[in-house]
Amino acid sequence: MTTHVTVMPEQFTLVAYDANRIAAIVRDLASLLGLSNPMAVEVDERTPLSKMSAVVAGTSSDHTITLRLQSGALEDTKHLTNFSEAHARRSLGQVMLRAKDRLRPDFADAPDDLALTNAQNTAWDVYCGGRLDRLGLDPIQQGYRYDFRNRFGFSDEVDCVFDQLWSADDLGWHDLPTVP
Amino acid sequence: MRQFFPVEDLARDDRFVQTNMAERMSDTRSAVDLQRTAKSRGASNRLTPDRHDASDAARSLMHGIMVGEIQALEGAGRTAHDFDAGDGSEGTIPFELKLDMARQAWDEARHVEISVKLSDWMGTEIGQFQENTVLFEAACSNDPVLRLAGVNRALEGLAIDVFTQMKEFGQLADDPFLEFCEDWMLADEVTHVKMGSDWLRRVTENDPDRRAKALDFQRVVDKLFSFGGARGESEESPIGLARRFRELAGFTDDEVDTIAGMDHDALEERKEVVRLARETADV
Repeated sequence: MTTHVTVMPEQFTLVAYDANRIAAIVRDLASLLGLSNPMAVEVDERTPLSKMSAVVAGTSSDHTITLRLQSGALEDTKHLTNFSEAHARRSLGQVMLRAKDRLRPDFADAPDDLALTNAQNTAWDVYCGGRLDRLGLDPIQQGYRYDFRNRFGFSDEVDCVFDQLWSADDLGWHDLPTVP
Repeated sequence: MRQFFPVEDLARDDRFVQTNMAERMSDTRSAVDLQRTAKSRGASNRLTPDRHDASDAARSLMHGIMVGEIQALEGAGRTAHDFDAGDGSEGTIPFELKLDMARQAWDEARHVEISVKLSDWMGTEIGQFQENTVLFEAACSNDPVLRLAGVNRALEGLAIDVFTQMKEFGQLADDPFLEFCEDWMLADEVTHVKMGSDWLRRVTENDPDRRAKALDFQRVVDKLFSFGGARGESEESPIGLARRFRELAGFTDDEVDTIAGMDHDALEERKEVVRLARETADV
């Protein structure tokens, strides 16, 4: 079954992005992740920043998942304002994994994406990053490790927690580490 | 060996993609928040670890530092080689200035190595971001005094601001390597600016017109580096103006005030461009 995907804006004016191409990537990732919910993608092209968030309207497969991304999350960092397929797949994969987590009962307590603390956000990102790696989307592990150290500390103990999180596949919200 | 090397001929492997200020300025998106609120990201753009995008921003800046160091190495090396030894007039430079440029090239080579290792530590791949060649372009003048003003005073002055910001970032994040490395490189940059200030004064001692022309060129380069208010004393600027270290490097209070004013104007100009672009695009 093909996932229904809408992308806003339909025409980009500040960046050279193609809404159809973004929709195709989302459909492909939805198939890879086993997500059949309708998807609404909203891209803010006014900013080069790369914040992302996912909102799920409910936990059934009929409920729409809204993915909000700032344009930098889809950008080719070697050719600014241009689209990068690889970067887009990693960013969309990450935010869609979060949405998939939110459909689980053990993520019911997770705050909205924009209400997460920096540490909560980073821990969840690392949990997604490891899974993206195993899906073959090639995230840069050292970048995630540096983010994690920035939030949790530069120590061997923190690196061990990172390694456990990166290799995990079946965690709930309360399994994610919090700042000591 | 060839003299006066144009920016187009810089040697890079296929990992690097180069850009220039004209391309950079054509991007009308902006991280500046036009409707700032206390909770918005725009309330402070300063590059500190508590920003939600701190690591990404630090990685991008570190890559910019790395390619800047490569160009600074190339610029200092060119200045040591492009001009014959002489009294500083008619396309010559004093031999001692050549030695200082050679020493600077050695420093910059070390900085490149440090920046590559820091990039690796932070999770950045070489060439992951585009390379803005504005730094080397400032080192292409036919007059060595303009190079001293544009590179040693404006460019290395910016390096003082950037390294101070990154050093503070490392300190706040408790990163065991970042603060240490930035502090060492910062010390070198202060020396490079001081070298530029001293040589500019000495070489133009009896030529006030040439000195004025060089200082005008420095202002042009400083204005380019103020682009979009990326550097400035306002909390809206990611990189602060390192007054104390600039003072140690030989900048007068008036000169720093002038740069601060240009930074402020650049930020306001950028906001206006963004506002107009958004109105035009109706987004």
